[in-house]
Amino acid sequence: MDRGKLVVERIGGKSTLTRCLSKYPFKFINPNKVGPSQTDAVWIYTITYGGGIVSGDSIAFDVTVGDGCTAVLTTQSSTKVYKSIGSKCSKQMLEASVGRDALLVVIPDPVTCFSTAKYSQLQIFKVVPESSLLVVDWITSGRHESGEKWAFSHYKSTNRILLEGDEPVFLDTILLEQGSHISISDRLQDYQAIAMIVLLGPKLRLIQNQIQEDVKKLMYQQLRVPSISSGRSTESDSNKHCLPKPSFVASCSTFGPKGIGVVVRVASMTTESVYNFLQHQLATMEALLGASPYR
Amino acid sequence: MEGVEEANKNDFKSSQSVSLQQWSQWQLFDSILPTGGFAHSLGLEAAMQARLVVSPEDLKTYVIHLLDNTGSLLLPFVYTATISPDTQTWHKLDRLLNAMLTNEIGRKASTAQGSALMRVSASVFSEIPCLKTMRNAALSSGAVFFHHAPVFGLVCGLLGFDAETTQRAYVFVTMRDVISAATRLNLVGPLGAAVLQHQVAPIAESLSTKWMNRDAGEACQTCPLLDTVQGCHGYLFSRLFCS
Repeated sequence: MDRGKLVVERIGGKSTLTRCLSKYPFKFINPNKVGPSQTDAVWIYTITYGGGIVSGDSIAFDVTVGDGCTAVLTTQSSTKVYKSIGSKCSKQMLEASVGRDALLVVIPDPVTCFSTAKYSQLQIFKVVPESSLLVVDWITSGRHESGEKWAFSHYKSTNRILLEGDEPVFLDTILLEQGSHISISDRLQDYQAIAMIVLLGPKLRLIQNQIQEDVKKLMYQQLRVPSISSGRSTESDSNKHCLPKPSFVASCSTFGPKGIGVVVRVASMTTESVYNFLQHQLATMEALLGASPYR
Repeated sequence: MEGVEEANKNDFKSSQSVSLQQWSQWQLFDSILPTGGFAHSLGLEAAMQARLVVSPEDLKTYVIHLLDNTGSLLLPFVYTATISPDTQTWHKLDRLLNAMLTNEIGRKASTAQGSALMRVSASVFSEIPCLKTMRNAALSSGAVFFHHAPVFGLVCGLLGFDAETTQRAYVFVTMRDVISAATRLNLVGPLGAAVLQHQVAPIAESLSTKWMNRDAGEACQTCPLLDTVQGCHGYLFSRLFCS
């Protein structure tokens, strides 16, 4: 199967897109003026024809970020996955190699699967000890204004980070499937958006520390020891004494040898809160990328 | 005459060893085995402090979601370890699971319980000397995390338990531990807990059947909300449990 290709190399001391091959049903756009000209970063937007992924579509491409380069992969708007026809599954596959002192930033808008959609995504990142990587992977419940909340059939997202070829450093697969005992909506309760942010490598060290501090402070205020009476009480009692569930829940974990990576998990009752969180936490990336993510 | 006697003796020996195996099984799955399981709430304490679990009904839902996630993420490791209870497979699964347990709280709980289980098993099941040798070799190398699911599978495999029983048991001990934590968190009383456990059993059985006998490479998580909330355990000001 033919795959698209993006190669970013150092030419004349600057990160330069030397190969850009897209294949239907997707297209790459590489605008030149995303940030001030002194910033050394290549921005690539992935666009789908018709603004979404149709049942059975397959999008696959490879990315190479050469030593000392910076590349940003993003989208123009949320990736809509339309309903599955004949049980077909839509797929997106990305395989990226990040070199020494290089930085790859993957900051898409969220995936939104419509009712009965089936979607599967695989992202493999091959890194070396001096690579830096930022990946945001997130999904919303659907067209929730129309009442479509977690109504899709199947969503699977796999992210793998491999160090020096084959050493697994981070392996994560989230599978959301309608089940006989548990619907997807049961699993997610009132939360309409879930996100995962992965930060790895030397160029992200400061953000890693800041995000961990901020999440800890934020959650510390939200978590409360339940009072003795609230357990084992009747439903009317607990409604009276209980604080509502936090509308935004987040936690951070370190991963990898010597804790080189940080993963942040988020569950939010609104998509907007996640955008705000991402905008706020990643604001300092403007210096490296020329523009602030999720503005 | 001698041939029949011999055959009868063999039948008796094999049925005796099957009965003895039952005793080992019951001991291994008993909560009284000193593996420190009582120190972990499997994310329940954080879920309560986040008001995701407030009532006994919420608890039942939590237990079911937890068992679904246990099945999807950990049962493949129990399975692969139990059908190939050898050093190479064990080390490979241990490393793989370490990369898959991206939740730091869950990862630390896994190594704590796995180490304790390995230590206890090596002492208790002395008729299987390789448990001790494998444990000592792993400790000297310093490269083994002793994650719980592969150790559980390994010990059961070496004790000769079949794969189905082992996997079902893993889901059972998970259910047992979270319900036990619920009583200590005062969410449900001991009698209510026992009633709940029996009510959930048929669902636990269907989840075990759904997720059993899969390769470790297929492991995935199915409850991202649970994962996010369990990760908050470190932010709790006042806590009863380690995780």
